[in-house]
Amino acid sequence: MKRVFTFLFISVLVLTTALAVVSGSVVTSKYGVVAAANEYAARIGAEILERGGNALDAAIAVSFALGVAEPYASGIGGEGYAVVRLANGERYAVDFKSVAPALASYDKINGKLSSIKYTAKGACVPGVVAGAAEVWKIGATMPWAELIKPSIELARKGLVVNETFASVVSDTYERLLENAPEFLKEGMLAWEVGDIFTNPALANTLELIAKEGPAAFYKGKIADDIERFMLEHEGFMRKSDLENYKAVVREPLHGTYRGFDVYVPHPPVSGPQLLAILNILENFNLSAFSWEDPLAVHIIQQVLVLEDVDRRYFISDPDFFDLPTKGFISKEYAKTRLMELNLSKAMDPSTYFDHVGNAYAFEEGGTYEEVLLEGVKVSSVDPMDGYEFPSTTHFSVVDKYGNAVAWTQTLSSFFGTSMYVDGFFLNNEIGNFASTYREGDVINLEPGKRPRTTICPTIIEKDGKVRYVLGTPGGGRIISTITQLVVDLIDFGMSPEEAVKTPKFVGYAFYKDLRMEKGFPETTIRFLEEVLGHKVKLYEYPSLYFGGPNIVAVKSDGTMVGVGSIRRNGAAACPER
Amino acid sequence: MVLVFLTFNILAFGATTSTQVPMLEAPVMVVSAGQSPGALQFSVVAKMAKLPHTFEKLLRAEDFDPTKYKTLVLVVGASSKGLGAAGIDFEAEVKRVVALAEKAKAHKIPIVICHLEGATRRGPMSDRILDALAAYASIFMVKTSSDEDGKFKSLSEEFKVPLLYFQKTSDLKNIIQEHFVY
Repeated sequence: MKRVFTFLFISVLVLTTALAVVSGSVVTSKYGVVAAANEYAARIGAEILERGGNALDAAIAVSFALGVAEPYASGIGGEGYAVVRLANGERYAVDFKSVAPALASYDKINGKLSSIKYTAKGACVPGVVAGAAEVWKIGATMPWAELIKPSIELARKGLVVNETFASVVSDTYERLLENAPEFLKEGMLAWEVGDIFTNPALANTLELIAKEGPAAFYKGKIADDIERFMLEHEGFMRKSDLENYKAVVREPLHGTYRGFDVYVPHPPVSGPQLLAILNILENFNLSAFSWEDPLAVHIIQQVLVLEDVDRRYFISDPDFFDLPTKGFISKEYAKTRLMELNLSKAMDPSTYFDHVGNAYAFEEGGTYEEVLLEGVKVSSVDPMDGYEFPSTTHFSVVDKYGNAVAWTQTLSSFFGTSMYVDGFFLNNEIGNFASTYREGDVINLEPGKRPRTTICPTIIEKDGKVRYVLGTPGGGRIISTITQLVVDLIDFGMSPEEAVKTPKFVGYAFYKDLRMEKGFPETTIRFLEEVLGHKVKLYEYPSLYFGGPNIVAVKSDGTMVGVGSIRRNGAAACPER
Repeated sequence: MVLVFLTFNILAFGATTSTQVPMLEAPVMVVSAGQSPGALQFSVVAKMAKLPHTFEKLLRAEDFDPTKYKTLVLVVGASSKGLGAAGIDFEAEVKRVVALAEKAKAHKIPIVICHLEGATRRGPMSDRILDALAAYASIFMVKTSSDEDGKFKSLSEEFKVPLLYFQKTSDLKNIIQEHFVY
């Protein structure tokens, strides 16, 4: 009772002292909406909109705020990707993925990369601050420091620890006690629900970044602190790595799905994979099914598996490989993938990797008939297995002017390496490279290479207007969850709230079973198992395992609906006017 | 105001059922039952309370020397990740902790069953362990948020074993200092 009392008291205090914004699991507004995995961060974004900032301003503020409010999921020691759509129709893909330090190599680890994931060696060069700076240059309207100020205040004044925060800290307690005791309550205890978490060290760091700009992180005191930490802990990263780091800005990749325009990131993240999946699904009249129909689940899940297999061959750092991205996202290539599907029986999981496609054959165009008649076959190596964590965070922003931002950021594992510098955690993205060197593998560790991950912030337009901004955390479940959001919204005609809440399932090349959230009818489960031959594994509903998707939808009259991450104590927020 | 103060004190410093609370003696063996980080958290609080204890995450009955310890604390909390890291499957974990409890009981060593990770660590696996161990308990020490469904209260009544609640993990220190002799 005391916990509830404290929580209510502080919540009321926060609400009454804040600017005129409204928040909840679902909000509707004509003045802009932020949807995120954390209510504090969503409200900070909405306050920026309320003060006249645009979606880019709000997104930058939310990015920093999430690093304070969810220090386990993302932060300035991490990386990410954002897709930006300006009101004038310009679109940008901002790649602020981390890069492997210059000293990182297989020779220096005497074994598998997995053995260094929770050490200083596991950290790649962080990109979040550089990414925020690029988004700011693209079209923010408020001063840089003003966008960081709310996060500094949040870090100083503190926030009420929620169930997700407490649960993640508890799960990671052993590692935190060993590597980052200064993060813990009283230097030794796990944060609990209802506690007030403050982070003065991070507040000081953010103050520097606010005052001196991104250079404070990449060239100044913070870079010095990171190098000192790395030297003390035998890590790979040096100040020179930070000085050389650059976020990359491109046009987003474009695909279509049933008349909608879909804008996604480039490799090394999963934008091409999502487009490839949608290209295959477009060949089915899914609207003739319902979300719980076992045949619809089967079709979608098998397509997800096929394209997860493809991802492992066709997605990596584009600066290191000539990737077949154009072929991978072509409608003709999708037809060859369609031919791999068996509608009456699930693929044998032990044969998944026999089903890899040949996207290279479609790089120069051509029809599927021409390519298949030529008999071209892809050569491959077995890809590496790896556990991907339900960590990461995503948020979506749309403003009243027509600007939109889909932004996903991460530390890789929850708390990343668990190495703690100046109030923030360093990512462990190095675990996303191949664990050991393998000839021909596209994700071998190389200095300067960006690791491949599954994040996919997405903007969907119709007739030149933003309709949906969405994304999710969730490691290996990310693309499955995003695909289901798109199908639920476009094919099944669900509201954004229904789409977020509908139970999710996974298609992933390393899962031998069909993992599903509880909530599907018993008949569906039985049909999948007994008729289609799937081995179903059920998870509680709602489960963080399936990510924390959130959406901002824009109706044809301009009304925006935001839905926060129900699987993660998330929220949407908007200005009152 | 007085009511709020009293409520706070009861929650913070422990409430008991009407059953007599035994005094517990040190040295204490602290063992994980389910491989979640709860047992380590107990050990950290025990250090704060200066309780002489040994923490063994994976202690097996055959390695437990009953002549060296006067109390066994089993901290319940099942973690798939923890079990995986320890290289032990769930059924083997249940057997391990039940065997440990049996040995302690045979040597008349009191057994504390503790749960301190709240409702999120009360999944089906944790409850399986709890059900398997409840009959061996001499006392339950439970965070209030771990017992939102009243399961510990029911077990306490069923087995006529005292139940001590604490609000925050740090409040466990007071319970240790009050109920252990050392």
